[in-house]
Amino acid sequence: MNIRVLGFTLFISLCLGISFAQSELNALVWCDHTDQALLQPFEEKFNVKVNVKDYEGTGTALSLIEQSRPGDWDVFVVDSVDVPRVAEAGILAPLNEADFPWDDFFDEVKLDDIHFVNGQLYAVPEKFGYNTLSFNNKNASEADMLDLNTLWDAKFEGKIAVYDYYIPTIELIALSMGMKPSDITAENLPQIKERLFELKKNTALIGGVVGVQTALATGEVDIIVGGGEYVTAVLHEEDPSLDWILPKQGGVRWQQAIGVFADSEKKELATEFVKYIVSPEGQARLATSSCYWAMPANSKAALNDEQKAILRWDEQPGYLANSYPYYIPDAELDALMLEAWTEFLQY
Amino acid sequence: MSSLKRFLRLLPATLYVLLVFAFIFLPVVTLVLFSFQGSRLPIPPFDGPSLKWYGAVFSDRRLMAALNHSIWVGVLSSLLAVALAFLAAYALARVKLPLSNLWRWLITAPLSMSYLIIAMGLLITFNALGIAKSLVAIGIGHVVINLPLCFAIIFSQLGEQQARLERAARDLGASELSVMTLITLPLIWPALFAAFFLSFTLSWDEFIIAFLLSRFDVTLPVEIWSLLSSGLNPKTNAIGSVVFGVSIVLLILLETILLGRRRRT
Amino acid sequence: MNRRESLKAWGLIAPALLWTLAFFVVPIAIMTVYSFWQRVGTKTVRGFSLDNYVAFFSKTYFREALFNSLEVTILVTVISILLAYPLAYILAYQVPSHWQRLALSLAILPFWTSYVVRSYSWLLVLSAKGIVSKSLQTLGILHDPVSFVNSRMGTIIGFVHFFTMLLTLTIFANLVQIPRNYLKAAADLGASRLQAFWHVTLPLSVPGIMVGAFLTFVLCIGDYITPQILGGNKELLLPQVIMLQIGRQANFPMASALSLILMLVISLVFLVSARYLRLERV
Repeated sequence: MNIRVLGFTLFISLCLGISFAQSELNALVWCDHTDQALLQPFEEKFNVKVNVKDYEGTGTALSLIEQSRPGDWDVFVVDSVDVPRVAEAGILAPLNEADFPWDDFFDEVKLDDIHFVNGQLYAVPEKFGYNTLSFNNKNASEADMLDLNTLWDAKFEGKIAVYDYYIPTIELIALSMGMKPSDITAENLPQIKERLFELKKNTALIGGVVGVQTALATGEVDIIVGGGEYVTAVLHEEDPSLDWILPKQGGVRWQQAIGVFADSEKKELATEFVKYIVSPEGQARLATSSCYWAMPANSKAALNDEQKAILRWDEQPGYLANSYPYYIPDAELDALMLEAWTEFLQY
Repeated sequence: MSSLKRFLRLLPATLYVLLVFAFIFLPVVTLVLFSFQGSRLPIPPFDGPSLKWYGAVFSDRRLMAALNHSIWVGVLSSLLAVALAFLAAYALARVKLPLSNLWRWLITAPLSMSYLIIAMGLLITFNALGIAKSLVAIGIGHVVINLPLCFAIIFSQLGEQQARLERAARDLGASELSVMTLITLPLIWPALFAAFFLSFTLSWDEFIIAFLLSRFDVTLPVEIWSLLSSGLNPKTNAIGSVVFGVSIVLLILLETILLGRRRRT
Repeated sequence: MNRRESLKAWGLIAPALLWTLAFFVVPIAIMTVYSFWQRVGTKTVRGFSLDNYVAFFSKTYFREALFNSLEVTILVTVISILLAYPLAYILAYQVPSHWQRLALSLAILPFWTSYVVRSYSWLLVLSAKGIVSKSLQTLGILHDPVSFVNSRMGTIIGFVHFFTMLLTLTIFANLVQIPRNYLKAAADLGASRLQAFWHVTLPLSVPGIMVGAFLTFVLCIGDYITPQILGGNKELLLPQVIMLQIGRQANFPMASALSLILMLVISLVFLVSARYLRLERV
C-alpha cells in the first residue's frame, strides 16, 4: 500500500475514466423513462449511452437543475403545465414543430397555450393519465369510490394511502369540496387544508409512486388517493382486484412533456431522442414502461390490443371529459400549498 | 440429574438467545427466500423457487455499473484514507509536536458527526464552488468519514514496541523512509488491513453522501434506492442477497488471512 | 527534537489535517454562513437574517420534527441496550469460549446485508400480508391481518434491529475485558451472583454501553433511510425535513439551519457522554 501502488491505481482509474467518455446523453426524467427497454433501441441506433436521473415533482427537478452546471443536462421530461414557467426561466430550448407528428397527438393533449410560449414550441406532449383513486375492489366497492367524500368515512380508517405529491392531491381535495382545481386561492386554501388534515385519521401512509403501490399490493391499504392507472396497471396482471376509477366529482389529469435543455451541447442528438420518444414505437414502449403505465400522447402508438385494454384506450373520451388538467399555482400559492402539505405530513 | 439441572439453568438464556437471533435473522432470511420468488410480489405465499430475478439483476446494466462504481469508490477512497491516516498517526505517535492533542482531536472529529451533516456541508460547498457532483465527490466524502476511523485504529497500534525497533534501525543507519517502509509498515500491516477493510465496508454501504453528491454515476446503495422507487419486485431481494453473499465470502477470506497470520506469529 | 524532524512530522500530518479542514471544517463553516441567508421564491438571497432559525422555533412542523427525532432516538437507544446487554452477557459468560467467535459472528451477520435493502426487507416482513402477520394469524394469535410498518413502530423496529447488533458488539468487547478474578473476589467476599453482577460487572461494563449508546444516538438521529422507508411519512423526523427542504425547494439556507440544529444536539450529547468515550480507542 505504498505510493507506487496508489499511483498505479489512480492511473488505471484515469484510463478507465477516459474509455468511459463515449457519446452520452443526459436526461432528467420521471421514472418511467429509466426502463432499459425504452432506452435501448435509441442507444443502439445512435450508438450513444443515455444517462437518466429520475425525480418526482417539478420542484425536485428545479432543485436538481440548480445543483448542476450549465451543459450538464440534455433532455428534460416535465409536467406539461410547468412548461411555460420552465421555458420562461430560460431552461428549455426552442423546438421545431415540423420535427414532430403533431397531427397524430390526441387533441386534448396538444394544449397549444402550454407547449408554445409566444408562438414558439418548447416541449412536446408524450404521456398522460389521471390522479384519482386506485383501490382494491375486494375491500372497497366501486359504488363507494364513485364519491370522493366516502374517503372520510370511518370505515376506511387506516385503509388509505395518500400519494406524496402536493399539487394533484390538494386539487383532489378541492374537487371533493365542489371546487375546480383552478378555483384554489390563498383565501380558500385554509378550508381545503382543514379538509386535508381530516383525512389524516384514515391515512395509513403517505408515499411516492412505489410506496403507495407497495402498500396497495401488500394489503396495507385499500385505497390510494392520487392514484390512478399509473399505479395499478403494472399490478393488474398479478392481482386483478387492484383497480382504478374516476369518481363523479372528476379527477386531476397529469400530462408529461419532453423538451431539450437550452444549455445542452448536444441539442441535435437530444432532439433525436425527443423524436424517438414521440414516435409510434417509442410511445408504445413509454406507455408500458416498467415504472408506470399510462396513455401515450400519440394516437398512433404501436400498442397491441391487450395493452390497449389495460390502458382503457377506448374509454379515454369519457375520462378526458371528466378530468381537469393540473392547475399550477403561482409561486406564492405554490409555497403555501407546499407548506400546507408539510404540515399535513407532520399533523 | 445434574445434567437436567444444568439444562434447566441454561434454558432461559438459550431461549433468549434464540429469540434475539430469530429477530436479527428474520429480515435476512425473508430477503433471501423471496429473492427466489416466482411471481412479481415478494410477499407470501412463496411460489418459487425461480432464478429469474437473479437473471434480471445480472442483465441490469445500471445495477452492474453501480456495482462497479461502488467497488472503485470504496477501494480508492479507503486506500487514500488509510494512507493519510497512517502518515498522520505515524507522526503523532513518534514525534512530540506542539498542540498534538488538538490535531488528534481534529482528525477524529468527523467520527462524532452524522453523515447527513457531512453530506450537507459538502453538497453546499461543492455547489457554491461550482464543483460537479460525481463519483470523485462521493469519494472525497467517504475519505472524510473513514479517515478518523483509520487514524484511530492505526494510532492505537503504534506502540512502544515498534518504536524501539524503529530506533534500533535508525541507529544502524537506516533512512527515515526505509524505517517506515521496512520496519513500521510490516509490523502494523494487520492494522492497516483492518482499517482498509472497515473503510471499504462503510463506503460500500454508505447512502446519504452518495445520494446527495451523485448524478447518474451512482453507487450501489443509491441505485438500489432508485430501484425501490421504480417498482416493487423481487429484483431488490435478489441484488440484496447477492451483496450479502459476496460480503460473507469476503469476510471469511479476511478471517482466514488474519487468523492464518496470527497463528504464524 | 531537532527542527528537521519536526518539519518532517508536520509534513506527514499535513495531508490528513488539510483534508479534514477542507472537506469537513470549511463545509460546516460555509453551511453556517448559508444558514443566515434566505430562500425567497426560487432565489437564494445573501445577507444576514435569523429568519430560518425563527422559522424553526415558530413553525410546528420543524419543532415537532426535532421532538420526534429525539423521542425515536432515545426509545431506540434504550430498547437496543435492553435487548443487546443480555445477549452480550450470555455470549461473553455462558457460551463456551470455542463457540464464542462463531456466535458473535452470527449475531452481527445481518450487518453485511445492504442497509437500504434491510429496511426494505422489514417493510415486507412486517406488512399486513407479510410473514409476521401471516404467522400470527396461522397461530391464531391474530384474527385480522395487522401491519407493523408505516408508523413510528415500523421505524423503531428497523432501527432496533440494526443497533441491537451494534450494541451487542460494543458491550461484548467490553465484557470480555473485565478480569474474571474480580467476580471470584466478589464471590469470596460473600457476594451472591446477582450482587456480583450489580456491583462489579455492570459498573465495569458502562464504558461499553456508553460507546455503543453514543454511536446509536449519532447514527440514529441522522438517519434518513429507515424512517423514510418504514415510517410511512405520517410524521417527519429531522433528517426527512432537511431532505424535503433540499429535495423539493432547493432551500439550502433552511436545510443548513436545520442541519446545524441537528449538529448542535449531537454535540450536546457528545459533551454529556464525553467522559465515557475514548473514541480513538474504539
